[in-house]
Amino acid sequence: MKSLRRDFSSNPQAANVTSKVFVRSTKSGKVQKIVRELYLRQDIPCSSKLCSICPSIAPADANGNIAPFVLSDRPAGTKAFPRGHYLVPDTNALLNGMDLFEHTGAFFDVVILQTVLEELRNQSLPLYNRLLSLIKTDEKRFYLFFNEFRLETHVRRGPEESINDRNDRAVRTVASWYGEHLRESAAKKGKKEKSVPAIVVITDDKENLRKSKEENVTALSLSDYVAGLEDSEKLLDMISEAREARDAKGARGELFYPEYYSMSKLMTGLRAGNLHQGVFNVSPYNYLEGSVNVAAFDKPLLILGRDNSNRAIAGDVVVIEVLPKDQWKSPSTKLVDEEAVTRNDNPDTEETEAVVSDRERKALQDEVKKAHSNRSDGKPQPTAHVVGVIKRGWRQYVGHVDSNSTGSQAASGRRQQNVFVLPMDKRVPKIRVRTRQAGDLLGQRILVTIDSWDRDSRYPTGHFIRSLGELETKGAETEALLLEYDVQYKPFPKAVLDCLPSEGHDWKVPASKEDKGWTGRRDLRDLIVCSIDPPGCQDIDDALHARRLPNGNFEVGVHIADVSHFVKPNNAMDLEASVRGTSVYLVDKRIDMLPHLLGTDLCSLKPYVERYAFSVIWELTPHGEIVSSDFTKSVIRSREAFSYEQAQLRIDDPSQKDELTESMRHLLHFSKIFKQKRYDAGALNLASPEVRIEAGDEAGDPLTDVKTKAMLATNSLVEEFMLLANISVASKVFNSFSQTALLRRHATPPPQNFEELINQLSKKRNMELDVSSSGALANSLDRCVDPKNPFFNTLVRILATRCMTSAEYFCAGAHAESEFRHYGLASPIYTHFTSPIRRYADLLVHRQLASAIGYEGEDGHAVAEGVSTRGKLEDICRNINFRHRNAQFAGRASIEYYVGQALKARGEKMAAGGDNTGVDEEGYVMRVFENGVVVFVPRFGIEGVVRLEDFVLPGESGVYSAAERREFAVHRTTEFDNEEYTLRVEEKGHPEKERGVTVELFQRVQVNVSSVKEEGRAAGKRRVRILITGSTDK
Amino acid sequence: MPLDTSTTYPLTRLRLDGRRWNELRLLQAQISTNPASSGSSYLSMGNTAIMCSVHGPAEGRRGEASGTAGSSGAVVEVDVNIAGFAGVDRRRRAGGSDKQSSRIATTLRSAFQSHLHTYLYPHSTISIHVSVLSADGSLLAAAINACTLALVDAGIPMPGLLCGCTAGMSGSASTPRDPRSDELDPLLDLSLPEEQELPQLTVGTTTSVPVGENNMDEEEGETKVAVLNMDSKLHCTYIETMLAVGMDGCNQIRELLEGVIKDSSRA
Repeated sequence: MKSLRRDFSSNPQAANVTSKVFVRSTKSGKVQKIVRELYLRQDIPCSSKLCSICPSIAPADANGNIAPFVLSDRPAGTKAFPRGHYLVPDTNALLNGMDLFEHTGAFFDVVILQTVLEELRNQSLPLYNRLLSLIKTDEKRFYLFFNEFRLETHVRRGPEESINDRNDRAVRTVASWYGEHLRESAAKKGKKEKSVPAIVVITDDKENLRKSKEENVTALSLSDYVAGLEDSEKLLDMISEAREARDAKGARGELFYPEYYSMSKLMTGLRAGNLHQGVFNVSPYNYLEGSVNVAAFDKPLLILGRDNSNRAIAGDVVVIEVLPKDQWKSPSTKLVDEEAVTRNDNPDTEETEAVVSDRERKALQDEVKKAHSNRSDGKPQPTAHVVGVIKRGWRQYVGHVDSNSTGSQAASGRRQQNVFVLPMDKRVPKIRVRTRQAGDLLGQRILVTIDSWDRDSRYPTGHFIRSLGELETKGAETEALLLEYDVQYKPFPKAVLDCLPSEGHDWKVPASKEDKGWTGRRDLRDLIVCSIDPPGCQDIDDALHARRLPNGNFEVGVHIADVSHFVKPNNAMDLEASVRGTSVYLVDKRIDMLPHLLGTDLCSLKPYVERYAFSVIWELTPHGEIVSSDFTKSVIRSREAFSYEQAQLRIDDPSQKDELTESMRHLLHFSKIFKQKRYDAGALNLASPEVRIEAGDEAGDPLTDVKTKAMLATNSLVEEFMLLANISVASKVFNSFSQTALLRRHATPPPQNFEELINQLSKKRNMELDVSSSGALANSLDRCVDPKNPFFNTLVRILATRCMTSAEYFCAGAHAESEFRHYGLASPIYTHFTSPIRRYADLLVHRQLASAIGYEGEDGHAVAEGVSTRGKLEDICRNINFRHRNAQFAGRASIEYYVGQALKARGEKMAAGGDNTGVDEEGYVMRVFENGVVVFVPRFGIEGVVRLEDFVLPGESGVYSAAERREFAVHRTTEFDNEEYTLRVEEKGHPEKERGVTVELFQRVQVNVSSVKEEGRAAGKRRVRILITGSTDK
Repeated sequence: MPLDTSTTYPLTRLRLDGRRWNELRLLQAQISTNPASSGSSYLSMGNTAIMCSVHGPAEGRRGEASGTAGSSGAVVEVDVNIAGFAGVDRRRRAGGSDKQSSRIATTLRSAFQSHLHTYLYPHSTISIHVSVLSADGSLLAAAINACTLALVDAGIPMPGLLCGCTAGMSGSASTPRDPRSDELDPLLDLSLPEEQELPQLTVGTTTSVPVGENNMDEEEGETKVAVLNMDSKLHCTYIETMLAVGMDGCNQIRELLEGVIKDSSRA
């Protein structure tokens, strides 16, 4: 029998085949040895425009295209490299300085090696993705060089060589090959060697630097290289601290936090059910109290204190272990603010601190006492501690430098120093950042990122990315908001704009019905259609009509902008829209999901022009029964665009008898029927503390712009028909796509969510809340009325809304049909169809509906394709749910900021006249803590914490200055009754009993609202301060 | 984790193992490796290695193949065994065959049953044993090629060499192709990591008459597709391109196999 061993000698090709062997371990703990072939080749170009050799060998791809060369023939240089240079970064350089590489002012002509890319992917997936997108951009001239496949640069790992050493050697090999190759090609051209750019390896590995020197390869550490650049001071701050810090502190060995369990221990524990996995949340009122929702417990598990939360930051996916029962506690009744407690921590010294500083410990111990004292009737909750982190939810954080943490020489010195950055998000601990520009950064909104949080560090370590501008300037604060809520606000890239119709604003519905644009479209231009929107609305999504049919029934139509006609699946515009997910509305700015041209013109159902639409048309009996429903693509011509007020006036004006007004009256009639039906079915009328900002003239009192949202009958008119259309479409789409229909559900909240509220209501008002079903809840909410306090009902509704889960998009296959219910709307099925200009979900539903009714599109392609796979759809759902939530948060934060600014402007005006700088308003107590209360001020839609010093006791002079009031805090004593939700504030040792204030839950109080600068820190931030000046009802 | 084709291929036009889109893996083969059988072969395409032996044509076994079976020609039996050590994970099987190997066996049987001139051997059985020694993608294609070589070695007449090859498609192949941009990224001869990531198509082609030196005709016999197998989801607009690439790969493989046969007859 012949030997079957591979004999390469006979085959000339075989010489270039080698193999890569590596070992990997799987999740289940198995070890796999992987052998992969490698085909070494010589036709991988160096991609330098200087090279005269490579263009002849560069191969074409399947379509005959040759990739253009990337690296410039005139690369940028520094003082040390006057002839310019190509950079070859090592993995650690990218790990430490990705922000630098992304910087638009430096780091051009970079060769990224395959070795490095692969190593980076193993170390950090987010950085890997950032690097990939860098490679794809043209301006930065990053070239991905597959060195492992090039014969000359392939490196085999030596028998005793570590992987790291081998990779470093590969980097050096490439650097020397590039140098040689470029010299060779220059020689061929007959040029002098001098014109060849230098090849510079950037590595932070000392061993690698040393070996490079031996091998005559130019190598620099990242900081050395950056130091040679212009603007180096700013750039140096952007180097990640992680590595350096670890090196420096390794020796000291003082550890603040317990170690995490090993991955395999975590996995075993999770499988056995001893450990639980969930997302770490932090209470907005107490930074030391976290909670994790896990499937095994119906209430969230509490995580109290720094050592239990063990370096977890809000948003991380953590693994937790439940603590023994004797350590169970009730949730905190105290307001704890990080800034107040740890005000004096020094960012440089760490030695003297324990994880839980004394002050923090005191704050915690009070609670333990509490939990133990009323154990009998109190409700201790299970507590847990974090034993591992599965996935860090770290992102970039917007914050400002704590001026207390900068040294005295901050303003002048250029010395590198540690400072604390206080993130805007209160749930995130302060971040230690090393910077040389502390003086400049004071008073700026800055963007930082967290690099690491080691056991030996009390606070996470991060680095500075960039400054957004001065605190409280409009531009900086708006950008901060957008960054904080991860809103894509960059202008649309060219690729997206290229997808727009070439006619631009001149685009028109084709005049000839023979045109392919008319295929499958119904001509509804003679219908009397109108739109009703908020004043000044430009992106008109929807229009309506109603008319009497000869048989006595009514035809009612909802016409929605046909966005899917313009946004084809899977082109650049569609992908951009799916990433953005939704338009975001800020007070003075709108960040569109679709380019301006589509959103406000071509798609928008503007009056007097013909527009493509997607119509839902029902035949209704006069009593509002649906006889039939019909879905069609159409062309409409809106007769008028009304604002809610205009429409209301027109309907109410009896002299108006024209067809359009009649049509609106019919609509109003039906909307009332539908609304009643909905409430009968158990729909909830929920409330959220919303105010609207109407940008008025500059001169007037800015506070007059803040308006609570008024509900007109016409608001509800539009809303009812949109709900009806959404429900009709949802069932149509679900019938056609039982697995992939995109729907929206609102899960029934678990009854325990309401426990606290039920308890509060029965204690304080002797009222009952029946949460057995949405209908029962709606009815019992209606009964929660306080005749003396008209706002009380709204307040309860706001609180009840917070007990519920939020609605979410999902794809039909992900849940059983019984789970589709929309709790709040009391509808068995629901989706979003009516706002495709501003929501991506609606756009997808449009495509699905088009396919469901057999609409084939202009070119005969079914349009629903591309969303037909469930996996992809679920990804999209996850994203749009996230975007939707963030858009809401951003909108609210924007209003809050605006209110704050308006108060500030007013305050300044008043202060000039020597008046009290605040505004007297009514407020309502929402929550009572041991050392303060939370008050909601409906006039401005804000809620705020009122601390002890901010209670104005009877007989006290009206001192409103925050600085003076701060002194009061230490003199105050409180009596807090957790069961009765009351808090009595008195002056310590004051003989007169009357000099005290008692506040209780739901109470209406007089408050004074003003905007103050936090004192004691020159560049402190501004907050809205609420003073309780008296109570109105008892 | 190593890189994957979908992210790096569009950037560098290089596949995970350093090949270009239209390059086969290193194909090596020998025939008459097992003198105890009527015909045998050993073939490796990259790290996929297959040993194949043919027994017969022999008298049909009594009992099972009695009666009408085989009365018009020989019956082809195929038995595929994927060794426990062939994949990344060592599998211990109690015996019998798994789904993958029985699917390959069925495909091979129906391909060769109609491909071979079985009418020459009525009432007899040709049994083919395929052993996969190491599996690294394109298993079916490699098995077709190994069987063809072993059958040639056994001297069983066939119209032309039946050669198999795989083709894949990189990029978002589950959505319809954009009619405006005609950029497609087909890949030839997929390895295992590629196979797990991309949709793939196995093509087997043959010629109606043997081609090569002995072929006096100037125009070569036309190529016929004999095997077409696809397990993955793919939008239909891509099939044509993949088929074209796969057939081109088969032609390359045919030349290689012919070289192997000629070399061994010279030796």
